[in-house]
Amino acid sequence: MPVRTPHFPDLLFRAAGRLRRWETALMTLLEQAGCREMHPSMVMRDPVPEGALRFFDGEDLVALRWDFTVALAGVVTRRFPEPPGRISYAGPVFRRPVQPWEAVERFEVGCEFIQNGAEANGESDLELARLLMAVPGAIGLKNAIIHLGNAALVRRPMEAEQLSPEQTKAVVSALSRRAPHRVLQVLEGHPAAERLTAHAQALVSELGGAEALKALDASPYADLLKDDRRHMEQALRSLLPILPPNLELRLDLADVEGLDFYTGPTLRLWAPGAQQELASGGRYDGLYPELGKPWQAAGFCVRISRLLDLAETRPDLFEQP
Amino acid sequence: MSILIAYPKGRLGDELMKLLVDTPLALDATAMKSRVLRIPTATPEVQALLLKGSDLPRYVAAGVAALGIVGSDTLDELDMDLLELADLEFGACRMSLCVPQGTTLEELRNRPHLRLATKFQRSTEAWLAKEGLTAELVPLSSSVELAPLLGLADGIVDLVQTGGTLKAHGLVEIALLGRSSARLVAARGAYLSEPHKIKPLAEILIKALKHQD
Repeated sequence: MPVRTPHFPDLLFRAAGRLRRWETALMTLLEQAGCREMHPSMVMRDPVPEGALRFFDGEDLVALRWDFTVALAGVVTRRFPEPPGRISYAGPVFRRPVQPWEAVERFEVGCEFIQNGAEANGESDLELARLLMAVPGAIGLKNAIIHLGNAALVRRPMEAEQLSPEQTKAVVSALSRRAPHRVLQVLEGHPAAERLTAHAQALVSELGGAEALKALDASPYADLLKDDRRHMEQALRSLLPILPPNLELRLDLADVEGLDFYTGPTLRLWAPGAQQELASGGRYDGLYPELGKPWQAAGFCVRISRLLDLAETRPDLFEQP
Repeated sequence: MSILIAYPKGRLGDELMKLLVDTPLALDATAMKSRVLRIPTATPEVQALLLKGSDLPRYVAAGVAALGIVGSDTLDELDMDLLELADLEFGACRMSLCVPQGTTLEELRNRPHLRLATKFQRSTEAWLAKEGLTAELVPLSSSVELAPLLGLADGIVDLVQTGGTLKAHGLVEIALLGRSSARLVAARGAYLSEPHKIKPLAEILIKALKHQD
């Protein structure tokens, strides 16, 4: 059963030790993978969203760092004429939680691969997945599951059907709930309502290994998505043979979390019985072009605070140091 | 470790209990008569909680219960982070704007200060926004139909199944805000991290409960 965490948790003794140990282990892992550490300022001066912890610095409204990816994007676009390659980060972020039991102050460790558009290829997505596969071992998580998804599986059909932003948001919300019946409801009267509902049913019908891709055969958009399907098959062929023991790889075709941000493959790390994903990431090629740089990027973030909560409630899932 | 399923109390719960009889997830009748918190089901290692509908989604969203059954009206009102695996199609009713007989929607539109009593503030606000209306919402948790009769509100937004209660109080439906039915919900974490445990139970419930009306 989950524990209600104080919104600004004080970590004492065992939890503080775990935080230090896991940050060190993960940063070492990322350094060995060629990542260089960056530590963006704790104070962000860019426009800040609702949910950030805002305060006035003189007459300027500023916020505590609420997202590493956004903070790093600000730094690298200002300081680097060329993409910095592989970078890593560790520390706290502050933002209001979606779930009431999640803390406002949370610790994260993560990495980003930032490349020129011309250099980017599927290999960096695979390398990112391989790196995430090493995370459970680095922190002593005995059993874990990685979900592979692809934002294009949902994004492309909606773009092809020219859904309005409101309709897109409603369909994504329905898929996030794994509720195809809601897709039909929110698209009532739209000529593509039945097609997109059938697609949603195909996406949510399976959550598993390579066989899950067969569910796409039932989608009216199977042809449109054949390249994305091929990429997922290639990813599975590359990753399954090197899967560490006690790590399961599943395809989650209906993964739509962060769909307004992710543009391609997505990754989620789960543990059996965990209430929330323990790490998440993927490809987000839209971020840097929006900031005026022709760069592509992919990365993942390990939610250390969720791991700390899990270690308290399910110590059996972790190796004892 | 046993798995908990949250079943609703009240009208929806009464319908549900009849449909569950002789299924693998039927509740133990003896335990139901006692004050036991976790009620055994016909499937070992699966227990049930009986919860008020408005509390039930919180238990599921927090992962205390892996699965639950609740009306879509409650889900829409609370907007919790959980999965909605199926429309079970029983417990169907309408969410309607109801007023004393003889009152029209046009009359309500022209009132300088419209007051509507409801348990469903979120859905009512959404409908008012869509209609370009403003109103004072009077939040009530039960016997909402009394509000127009006693002068507390001009109308009510409430669930209507047969219309019998409305008729008894001299009220009529003048606008349909939406439809509600029972939904099978799941804890996001439990379903996505351990689908092999949760999905078979969800399938049992869907098979037992869907298309029974």
